[in-house]
Amino acid sequence: MSERARNIITIVVMAAMVVTLIVLVATSPSDINRVQAIGEQIKCPVCQGESIANSPSSMARDMMSLVAERVSAGDSDTEIIEELLSSYSGAVLLDPPVGGPTLALWLAPVAALIGGAGVILWWRRHPPEPNTDAPKESARARRLAPLLVLGGSLAVIVVVAGFFLQDRAGPASGVANLAGQDLEDVSNETMEAVITANADHPQVDGMRLALAERYYEAGDYSAAFPHYLAVAQSTKVTGSQAVSALVRLGWMAWDGNDEAETAIGLFDQALAIDSSSSTALYLKGQVLWCGTGDLEAAIDLFEDVLADPELSPDARARVESDLAAARDGSACT
Amino acid sequence: MLAFLGSAGMVVALVGALLLVIRGISAARNETQPNLGGAAQLLLAGAVVAMGAMMLALLTDDFSLVYTANNHAEATPFPFDVATAWAALEGSIVLWGLVLAGYTWFVFRRYRANPDRLGAAALAVMGGVAVFFFGLMITVANPFEVCVQALEVGCAQSSPWVFANVDAPANGPGPNPLLQNHFMMAIHPPVLYLGYVGMTVPFAYAIGALGLGVAGPEWLRRSHRATLVAWSFLTLGILLGGWWAYEVLSWGGYWAWDPVENASLMPWLVATAFLHSGIVQQRRGMLQAWNFVLVISAFSLTILGTFLTRSGTINSVHSFTQSAIGPALLGFLVLTLVGSFTLFSTRADIVATSPRIESMVSREGTFLANNLLLSVYAFVVLVGTTYPLTLEAFTGTQVGVGEPFFNRLAVPLSFLLLLVMGFGPITPWRSTPPGLLWRRTRTPALVALAAGLLTALVVTRNGWVALAVTLGVFVIGTMTGLFVEQARARTDKTSETLPSALKKVAMGDGAFWAGQLSHVGVVLVAIGIAFAANLGSHAEVDLSPGESADFQGYTLTFESPFRQVHPSKTVVGARMTVTRDGTFMGVVEPSANFFGADETGVSTPDVLHRPGGDLYITLLGIPEGGAATFQFDTSPMIWVLWLGGLTAATGGFLAMAARRRERSHIPDRQTADV
Repeated sequence: MSERARNIITIVVMAAMVVTLIVLVATSPSDINRVQAIGEQIKCPVCQGESIANSPSSMARDMMSLVAERVSAGDSDTEIIEELLSSYSGAVLLDPPVGGPTLALWLAPVAALIGGAGVILWWRRHPPEPNTDAPKESARARRLAPLLVLGGSLAVIVVVAGFFLQDRAGPASGVANLAGQDLEDVSNETMEAVITANADHPQVDGMRLALAERYYEAGDYSAAFPHYLAVAQSTKVTGSQAVSALVRLGWMAWDGNDEAETAIGLFDQALAIDSSSSTALYLKGQVLWCGTGDLEAAIDLFEDVLADPELSPDARARVESDLAAARDGSACT
Repeated sequence: MLAFLGSAGMVVALVGALLLVIRGISAARNETQPNLGGAAQLLLAGAVVAMGAMMLALLTDDFSLVYTANNHAEATPFPFDVATAWAALEGSIVLWGLVLAGYTWFVFRRYRANPDRLGAAALAVMGGVAVFFFGLMITVANPFEVCVQALEVGCAQSSPWVFANVDAPANGPGPNPLLQNHFMMAIHPPVLYLGYVGMTVPFAYAIGALGLGVAGPEWLRRSHRATLVAWSFLTLGILLGGWWAYEVLSWGGYWAWDPVENASLMPWLVATAFLHSGIVQQRRGMLQAWNFVLVISAFSLTILGTFLTRSGTINSVHSFTQSAIGPALLGFLVLTLVGSFTLFSTRADIVATSPRIESMVSREGTFLANNLLLSVYAFVVLVGTTYPLTLEAFTGTQVGVGEPFFNRLAVPLSFLLLLVMGFGPITPWRSTPPGLLWRRTRTPALVALAAGLLTALVVTRNGWVALAVTLGVFVIGTMTGLFVEQARARTDKTSETLPSALKKVAMGDGAFWAGQLSHVGVVLVAIGIAFAANLGSHAEVDLSPGESADFQGYTLTFESPFRQVHPSKTVVGARMTVTRDGTFMGVVEPSANFFGADETGVSTPDVLHRPGGDLYITLLGIPEGGAATFQFDTSPMIWVLWLGGLTAATGGFLAMAARRRERSHIPDRQTADV
C-alpha cells in the first residue's frame, strides 16, 4: 500500500473515532444534580468566597434545604436563585452575568487573548530593528514613551484605588487605635467594619459591646443580638463585660420574643459569673413576676437588689415601687 | 529577653540588608571591591536569630510577647506550636525574611565563587527587597512587641519598646483552629514561601542586568535557573495547599478559586511562561524584552498576592486601612512596578533583540502559543480576583466572582494548553520540514483517540473526562514517540541496545527530559481534576446509632458517637464501619474538633483511601445521643491529582540537578535539536 493510501486510511479512522466520541458524549444521559448546581452559583453570606453548596455553615445548609424544597416543588432555576438573592442579604451570584457592572470582567480576558495574538502577529511582521548608530536618542524616546505611559498610568490607577479605599474606610483604623479614642465620633458602619475585619482581635469585644449598646438603645434588637452573643461567648472578655452581654440577651429574649425560660436561663448564667449583679437580679425578678407569675421568687430577688448599698437612688426608687406592687399582688407593670 | 533577642535580630538583618545595597551597588560599579560577605552574613544571622527567638518564645510558652499571647496557647501541641510562628501576619513576615535571607546567601555564595558585576548588582537588589521586609517588621508588623496590659487570655495592649514593663497573660487563645487541625500546616507555608520568595532571585538578576545596562544571555541563564528553583517549590507548595484543603476543609475540595489560592497560582502561571520563553532566548536569542516583563511580573504578583491576602482587603475593602501593612505593601508594589518598568523602558535599546521568527510552525511558535495562553490565564485569575474589590472600591457595587466564572475560562484555556503541550516538544526549532509533524503525531493521535473512546465506553461518557484522557494520552504519546525516535537514531548508528540508548538520550539532555516529566505531571493533574470534578457523587444522610446507609456501593453503619478530651481540644465524633458487598473496608471517624474556647468547632472529615478513589465522610450535625447528619462524597481517582502535582515538582527539581551537571560538563544538547 502506498504511503498516501495509508495516510488517507489513518485520517478516515481518526475522523470516525472523533465522530463516535462526540456522539457518545453528546448522547450521554445527563445526571446533573440541580440542587448542587444551583447551590454552587450562590455565595454563602457568612463565609469567605465559598458557595452554599460547599460550605458546612448552618446558614448555607438552611439555604441548601430551601433550594432542595423549591427544586422538588418544580420551580425553575432562575426563580429559585432570585428568591435566594432577595431573601438573604449578602448572598450574591458567584457566576457574574455578561452585562451590567460585570460586563468588563468578561470582556477583559477576551480582549487580552485577541490583543495578545495581535501583538504576536505584529511582532512577527515587524521585528525590532537591530541597533544602529542612527540617532539613538530619538529611537530610545520613541520606545520609551509607551512604556512610561504604561508605568505611569499603572501607578496612577493604584494610587487612586488606594485613595478611594482609604476614603471609604472613613476615619476608622485598627482596633488598637480606636481603643484609645472616643468611640462617640465613630459611626455604626465603621465600627461594624472594624469588628468584621478584626474578629479575632482580643480588644474587639469591648467595641462589640459598645456597638451593641447603641443598637439596643435604638431598639434594634436584631442588630444588637449577634454582637451581644459574640461577647457572651468570647473567652477574651472580662467578667463584667460578659455579665452585661448576658443580661442584655436575657432582656431581649423576654422583651422581644416573650421567651421567659430562655431569659431566666441567661440571667442565671450572668449571676453565675457575678452573683451580686443588681441588673441581673432585678431583671430576673421582673421576668419571674411578669412572665411566669412566680411572685414569691420575684419579691426575694427585689429584696436582694435593695440590699446592695451602692444602688443609685433612682434605681432604688424604681425597685422599691416594683417591690411594693408585687407585695400587693398586683399585675406587673 | 526574647523580645530583645528578636528585635536585635531584626535590626542586625536590616543593617546587613542596607550594607548589602550600598556595597552591592558600589561593587557593581566596579569602583571598589568591597566585602559583600559581611553584609550577607549579617542579614542571614539576623534573620535566623529573629526566627529563633520567635520559635523559642512559642516552645517555652513565653506569653510576654504579644505575638505569643495572641496566637499561642500553652496546650498547643507539637508541631502546631512551631507552625504558629507563621500562623499570623507578623510571624509570617519573619518567615518571609528568613527565606529571603537564605536565598540572598545562595546568591552570595555564587558571587563569592565567581565575583562579577551582575552578581553584585543582583545582591544589591536582594538587599533592597530585604530592607523593605525587615523595615516592615520593625515598624508596622513588629512580631516582637511585648505585652504591657494582659487580659485573662491574650493581650490588650502592647509596646514595641522591649524594655517596657511587661504584663504577661497566663495563657493565650491559641492559633486559628483551622490551622491546627492538620500537620500539613507545619510544612505547607514554608514550602510555599520557598516558592514565593524564590521569585525574588530571578527578579534581582533581571533588575541587576537592566541597571548595569548589560543584556544578553548571562542574566537570563541565572534568572532561568533561579526560576526553576522557585517554580519547583511553588508547585510543591500549591500541591500541599490543595491536599491540606482536601483533608481539612470538609467538602472534599482541593481548589476553590479562593483569593489566597489565586495569589499563589498567578506567579506560578507567569513563572511557567518564563520557563518556556526563557528557552527561546537561550536557543534563538529572541524575546528578551518579553522575558524581562515576565520576570518582573512574576515578582510583582508575589507582592500583589501578599497584599491581597495579608492586608485583609479581600475580606472587606474597608479593612484596607486597618493596619499600615496594606498601604505599605501596596506602596512597595507600586514602587516595584513603576521602578522596574521605568528602568526597563530607559534600557529599551539594549533589551530589544533582532532575530526574526522564521515560521510559526516551529518550536518558537509553540512557545509563543504557550506564552499567550499562560499570560491570558494569569490575567483571567488576576482580573477575577481583583475585579470585585476594585468595583466595590470605586462604585460601592458588590458582585461575586467565584468558581463558575473561573471554571468557564480556565477550563478551555487548560485544554488548549494541553493541546499545545502535545505539539511543542516534537516541533523542531526554526521551521518544520513538511510531513514531520504528521509522522510524529499520527500514532499518538490514534492511541489517544482510542483511549478516549475506551474511557467513554467503559468508564464514563462525560465529555470533560473523555477530552482530558484523549489530550493527556496524546501529550504522553508524542513525547514517548520522540524519546523512542531519538534512541532508535542512536541504535541505527551504533551497536547500542535500545534500553542503553534510551538512557543515553535521557541523560544527554537531562533538563529537557526533566521538563517532559513535569509535562506528565501536568497531564496527570488534568486527568485527576477531570475525574474528581465530574464523577464525584454527593449525599447527605441522617442516621441514628446502629442505622446504616447505602452510598455508591458502600454500606456505612453509624456505630456510636464518641467524645474525647485532649489537652488542647475536645473531639466530638461518630464512629462508622464501612463495608462493600459484605466485605469490611474500614472504620471511619468523622468528627468536629473544638479548640480551647472555640464554640463552633472545626469539622474534621475522615477519608477512606481506595485505588479507584476516596470515600469522604463529613459529620455535619454533632450527635448528642440521637441522630447525626453525615455528608458522603466520592472523589474518584483523586490520587492521580496528588501524584501529578508531585511528578510536576519532581520534574522541576530534576531539571535543576541536570542544569547543575551541565555546568560541570561540556553540554551535549544535540538531542534537543530535533
